[in-house]
Amino acid sequence: MEKFKSIIRDYPFIAFIIAFVILAFVPSVVFTDVYQSHLATLIFVNIVVAAGLNIVKGYCGQVTVGHVGLFAVGSYTAGTLFLYLGLGFWATLPIAIIVTAFFGVAMGIPSFRLEGPYLALATLGGGEAIRLFIENGNFFRSTFGISDIPTPSLMGYNFDSPDRYYFISMTIMIIAVYFSFSILRSGVGRAFMSIREDPICAAAAGINVKKYKILAFILSAMFAGAAGAVYAHMPPGYIHPNNYTVIEMVTFLAMVVLGGLGHIWGGIIGAIVITIVYDLTRPLYKYQLLIFGLTIVLTILFMPKGLGGFIDRYFLEKRFKKKTGTEKTS
Amino acid sequence: MGEIMNKLKFVFSAIVFSAGLVITTLAHAETIKIGVSFRMLSDVGYKHGELITDTVAKWNKEGTINGQKIDLTLYNDECKSEKGVANATKLAYQDKVHVIIGSSCSSVTLPMVPVSAKAKVPQIIPHSTNADITKKGSEYIFRVPVSSRFYKIVQGKFTAENQGTKIAYIYGPDAAGKDFALSLADYMRENYNVEPTYMVQSGEKETDFRSYLTKAKATNPEVLVISALLDETVRGLVQSYEVGIPKSVHRVTASIGSKVEIPINAGSAAKGVTFSAAFAASDTRPVAKKFVKMVKDKYGVVPGHDFSQMMDLLDILEIALKKVKFTGDLAADRNKVRDAIAATTDFRGLASGPINFCKSGTPECRDGNRTPVMIEYTKGGKNFKTKVAGTVTFNASAGL
Repeated sequence: MEKFKSIIRDYPFIAFIIAFVILAFVPSVVFTDVYQSHLATLIFVNIVVAAGLNIVKGYCGQVTVGHVGLFAVGSYTAGTLFLYLGLGFWATLPIAIIVTAFFGVAMGIPSFRLEGPYLALATLGGGEAIRLFIENGNFFRSTFGISDIPTPSLMGYNFDSPDRYYFISMTIMIIAVYFSFSILRSGVGRAFMSIREDPICAAAAGINVKKYKILAFILSAMFAGAAGAVYAHMPPGYIHPNNYTVIEMVTFLAMVVLGGLGHIWGGIIGAIVITIVYDLTRPLYKYQLLIFGLTIVLTILFMPKGLGGFIDRYFLEKRFKKKTGTEKTS
Repeated sequence: MGEIMNKLKFVFSAIVFSAGLVITTLAHAETIKIGVSFRMLSDVGYKHGELITDTVAKWNKEGTINGQKIDLTLYNDECKSEKGVANATKLAYQDKVHVIIGSSCSSVTLPMVPVSAKAKVPQIIPHSTNADITKKGSEYIFRVPVSSRFYKIVQGKFTAENQGTKIAYIYGPDAAGKDFALSLADYMRENYNVEPTYMVQSGEKETDFRSYLTKAKATNPEVLVISALLDETVRGLVQSYEVGIPKSVHRVTASIGSKVEIPINAGSAAKGVTFSAAFAASDTRPVAKKFVKMVKDKYGVVPGHDFSQMMDLLDILEIALKKVKFTGDLAADRNKVRDAIAATTDFRGLASGPINFCKSGTPECRDGNRTPVMIEYTKGGKNFKTKVAGTVTFNASAGL
């Protein structure tokens, strides 16, 4: 076991390959109906967005409340490329990522001079401006939405139903999470953390704060762009500006906060929990917002470091007990 | 020892759980499942949900559907396409319903159609009017309300022949409001060769239309179209008098004009407003009077045409479900329900005209109500009055 752990430590991508193989068998082994595949796809899309948001918010410490706008840019880039040029998923995905990266630059520039609630307001304005621009623009089909966006196909195999599209969204999620891990464990990730802890200290230590701030916004925007494109092509292939409001933004933020800000697994855990909690409370629509809000408040009250921090603490205590043989930590 | 006990407990729990599942499944073998997805938490959306729940409870109590139990699942889609798609997928594949009712918003119903078509579960629409919904050609879709393709003709013809062709349009960004204004403008362009004197889309949740109205006034229109959500429409009507647009200019709204909040909140500004809808609370037919009284007494609101359409939908469904002999084979039963709804002919309920469906999945067969009615408010305020300015039944392919 120790040898296996050491291999994973040295070659982390092996863990992702194992995760890919396990997740590939989940629909046939675990799922009992197509809806579960649909829900899994939503979870994967949310994981990609939340993993990106965790880079800029959790690791770099930049308060952004406009991420849903970047998600919309990804979706609408894919949607309009199909609408006007007839491009399919494999072409729209990379273009959506690149286009959203440029929007990430625009969203990140205010972070040079603003921070905290001021930056939050600026990014909130940016995100809402994007949605309103889409909503009022006939070029984007306005409030009629873009429909019939085709699902991807590969060598004649069409991923046209939720149980098939699962494999597309799962693959993109695995790749995105792998990149997120690689970035956060590299020197770039450490630079982000130092900026989060103290930008002045980071600058004094020779870190180009502006460069890394903008890089965090670009990287997280690329994640949002990828998620947006995957979302746009998800069956039945329909996007509408109503799906990119402040409520969705708060939900994304809740995922990161619940999972644990700055925790490497934070966004992932949060995306899974929030999406499932939302789904389980679907029949209780009268009380859904109450349950949802209560879950967040209680988590913040009793687990300020989120579920990720809670899990970390559990393992730390377990390791401590094992080493010392004591029952309780001091 | 403790570990063995834990394992035994787990095995025992699993057996009990499985047995429970089997018993539940057997007990519900004869149950008919209806799934609902629409905006449940809006002004009257919640009351629509109550209307469905109460009606189904009544069916169950009285054994209306051949004594079979109806299992109702209600989901709120918040008027968001993503939620609507998730609800439809869940209802079709996980809840395994026999029929889906939904949605209210066209932007939600549109993406739900391919989901229900792929899952082969009949979907019956209570409110959405967008013409594209039935153009998708699904055999599983049925629309109870009047399609926008009929509304634009009746409104266009009535306006051109009775009110004038110099029209100024102010519309909101919502799909229904925008669709109505743009369709009407297209109709006037194609049939009367007239361009709008003024046309503008207001911002989201914008309630001060005075700058737009002043610009519209400067173009000397004969007709002013205000096509937006409820509050926006009320504000637009009131402000049109504030900026001095004379009474002689005819005010027109989208079918939202049928909501009683319009004359109550707009007061005297509602007088003379015309709109096309599928039902008016001032309808003097005994069936309509009885319905209005029931809704007032039970739900505390005066019903607009959204309420009446939901009631008609439930009545159509009741008739259809009674005809079906359920076998327990979900796919076969769903097709039977589809065929039973498709067999609805000359249904006369609260709607302005008869509702007819037929077998083919074309708009001609699945846009059930082809009789929009033109209504005019003759008095605004709490004791508002309306009159029917005209009714027309279109042939099935009109407006396609």
